Amino acid sequence: MATTTATITLASADIMDNSISISNTSTLTTAGTDTGLAKTTGVARRTFASNSNTILLDHGLTSGIAEDVTADKSAKVYIKNTNDRGDGTKYVNILLVAREIGRLYGGDWMFIPWSGGSGKDIEFTASDTTETTLEYAVFYE
Amino acid sequence: MATTTATFTLSSADILTDALSLSTTMNLYQDGTTATGLDEVTLSRHNIPTGTNFDLIPESAALSEDASYVYICNKSTDVTYYVIISINDEPIGRLYAGDWLFMPWDCDLTAAANDSSIECQAYTGENIIEYALFHNGETLLTAADS
Repeated sequence: MATTTATITLASADIMDNSISISNTSTLTTAGTDTGLAKTTGVARRTFASNSNTILLDHGLTSGIAEDVTADKSAKVYIKNTNDRGDGTKYVNILLVAREIGRLYGGDWMFIPWSGGSGKDIEFTASDTTETTLEYAVFYE
Repeated sequence: MATTTATFTLSSADILTDALSLSTTMNLYQDGTTATGLDEVTLSRHNIPTGTNFDLIPESAALSEDASYVYICNKSTDVTYYVIISINDEPIGRLYAGDWLFMPWDCDLTAAANDSSIECQAYTGENIIEYALFHNGETLLTAADS
């Protein structure tokens, strides 16, 4: 088993009258155990210049992560839009089975669990055809 | 406007042959701006009983088509406890005890048949869930008895 930790810190000195600081560290484990996740895709990078709906993590593949990421197992996905923010109007829509989760503007990141399963692809659609680079990684059992 | 940052650090000494260390920080900005921070936040903690899929963060027209960010953490301590987080009736994944997620959220009020509320269903036992929603532009409802 491996030990992988993911830490988030949310901080603001002025969004409320008192400053807020939320910090949590999660050790990535297999489903319902203390055993660390042992598999990863590694950190990957993909550049594209299209605003068509595109599969980022394809669960339809017959090899790779498809058979290992299922609803009763544990998997985590990290995605970052590495572009500059620019004027704040360009973003990448992240979708799960064609259902929109939210927008990653330039510099934004997300970290979510992933149920996976047949057809449960993670997809993206850019707001325009500006060249965009996404970094992503999957950790799974 | 407010300044809010979200920092992510991921590290492992042994999942690969070489150590893995990744760190990134983002500012939570409003849609269509170069550097104007989100200025509204909702912080909440709930005990989620088993047996029902709840709307943890209900959809709202005020949150539609804008930049919002959601943090959810399962504060349960028994490793067999988990919640399934869903959107548009589609499971995103399971948050086991100690797990957290952070993601953008775009209320898609046009979603056919379903809604874009963030849903949460507990399994194994009552789960303790904390969440934070960073957003902008929400208008409170007029009191029905005013």
